[in-house]
Amino acid sequence: MAEVEIKLLNKVYSGNTRAVTDVNAHIRDGEFIVLVGPSGCGKSTILRMIAGLESISTGELFIDGRKVNGVEPGKRDIAMVFQNYALYPHMSVRRNMEYGLKNEGLPRDQIATRIAEAARTLQLEDYLDRKPRNLSGGQRQRVAMGRAIVRDPKVFLFDEPLSNLDAKLRTQLRSELKALHRRLAATFVYVTHDQVEAMSLADRIIIMNAGRVEQIGTPLDVYERPATRFVADFIGNPSMNLMTGIVAEDRARVVLTSGPTIALSTEVEAAPGTSVDLGIRPEHLRVSDTGGADLTLSVHMVEHLGADTIVHGHIGQDAGALSLRVDGVQDFREHTQVPLAIAPGHLHLFDTQTGQRLNCA
Amino acid sequence: MVENRPFLSFVTHVTLIVGVGFLCFPVWMALVASSHGPEALSHSPIPLWFGDQMWQNYSDLLFGGMPQVGGVPVGRMMLNSLWMALGITIGKISVSILAAFAIVYFRFPFRMMFFWMIFVTLMLPVEVRILPTFDVVAKLGMLNTRQGLIIPLMASATATFLFRQFFMTIPDELVEAARIDGAGPLRFFWDILLPLSRTNIAALFIILFIFGWNQYLWPLLITADESQYTVVMGIQRMVNSGEQLPVWHYIMGTAILAMIPPILVVVAMQKLFVKGLVESEK
Repeated sequence: MAEVEIKLLNKVYSGNTRAVTDVNAHIRDGEFIVLVGPSGCGKSTILRMIAGLESISTGELFIDGRKVNGVEPGKRDIAMVFQNYALYPHMSVRRNMEYGLKNEGLPRDQIATRIAEAARTLQLEDYLDRKPRNLSGGQRQRVAMGRAIVRDPKVFLFDEPLSNLDAKLRTQLRSELKALHRRLAATFVYVTHDQVEAMSLADRIIIMNAGRVEQIGTPLDVYERPATRFVADFIGNPSMNLMTGIVAEDRARVVLTSGPTIALSTEVEAAPGTSVDLGIRPEHLRVSDTGGADLTLSVHMVEHLGADTIVHGHIGQDAGALSLRVDGVQDFREHTQVPLAIAPGHLHLFDTQTGQRLNCA
Repeated sequence: MVENRPFLSFVTHVTLIVGVGFLCFPVWMALVASSHGPEALSHSPIPLWFGDQMWQNYSDLLFGGMPQVGGVPVGRMMLNSLWMALGITIGKISVSILAAFAIVYFRFPFRMMFFWMIFVTLMLPVEVRILPTFDVVAKLGMLNTRQGLIIPLMASATATFLFRQFFMTIPDELVEAARIDGAGPLRFFWDILLPLSRTNIAALFIILFIFGWNQYLWPLLITADESQYTVVMGIQRMVNSGEQLPVWHYIMGTAILAMIPPILVVVAMQKLFVKGLVESEK
């Protein structure tokens, strides 16, 4: 149980490739933090620096108040679960879980109690004497978690632990992980590229792009108030509609390059003429039945997902791409025009140059 | 392509049987010859079936001194060969597995240079460097000793290269998991790398044991003392016994005896050996 403090962390590989740039984060005691971002964004590098598997180029890292920059992984009081399990293939499940404890020099009877306890928690009691190759993927990942749990570490690190599993098992193990976190009340740092995993597991999400932190916040925070255009685009499926435009003279409207003018409910904090990206989530658009339409969607493709229907198309004739999400099964015909109204208060504005969020309603 | 034609399978079987006969006939001849007295082999026709001297011949060989090789029993020579073969095998495996461990898992200056230096020695067989090696061994005072037989043949680029290739297929995560589990380099080597290399070690053991057992030139050079003779040298001495007639029944018996230990090693390790060749799951 411990805090992790990351101060101005940088990772530069030989040949001057920057993997991580000036990352600051404060991970609270008992928090479930998810690092998420596209591949190559530096999220795994940060996790591996916390683990001590990767050296820190500049910056400081504290675990439970202790600076651990040069400390060996085995002495940081952490445990890690890898994507491809990394179980020792020649050892039985029991010996896999024992190995770290034996190296710590824990007495035999204590090792046995801890393993019995972890095996009960993870329903591995029947498999303790099997070799990893005789286990299914889900069981192997449970063993990997068991190996972490028995260590009773201050911080648990997970590197895309569910990526190698099929969708159904992933959902199941996801809820097991959440339950495990609640029971252990330990600090979890979890890396994934899957935003659904991030949204459903995290207390707070750290969204990364190109080695930098884009936003740190609760799942709803990043969904409802994305700090940058990247976050707006990355979180949410189907992703947010982003349309380029220019702030009008009165600063209360945006003229889209595709034609229509969108009224804002308050004035935007930007000079008239500023080029902006206007964002609206697909579920915050609705079919206008009164006739007064903010946008017109020409339908290209309809996806019926059962619980909801997603309509893809373009603004006007052939301008920007736009998608719309409506509840239940609804009928849309391809190559027709649909008038759309924007739900008030759900517009997002980003400065085109900096990508930063502009405040407005 | 698998075809089912009776004529073709007949031809292939005949070919195989001829091949097997061709391979086995000399061994059969040696076995038969070693069961006769000295006269039976010196005039034709050479017998094709066992004589009645087998027990006598083999007990002479193993325990009685052979005057042709200075009165040393073949049993003693086999023991010498066994020591040499085991020494070379175990020595080669331990040196090369440690060298490969260092090259794959540690970052030190000139690491790749060392690797290539080892690799280049692949092109230098014992015969090429035999005179300087002899000089070194002589100056170290190791002529006519077991160490002298074993140590110069111990360094092996082939085995180092083989272990290096194997270590590189072990996923990095395994090393990282061990580091997080608090295992230092030596513990990682002992607890994880060594057990995983088991099948490779077995395969190498077979190959190197036979290599060591069949060494001829090097023992011939550095042993002058009959008590250090190896069995392969012993056979040669018996054949070139100067003015006396070669004692063919003893020579054949020695050849048969010399074949037994390599066969035992192959049989004992065959299962692991095959597993090492086919297993790919990590």
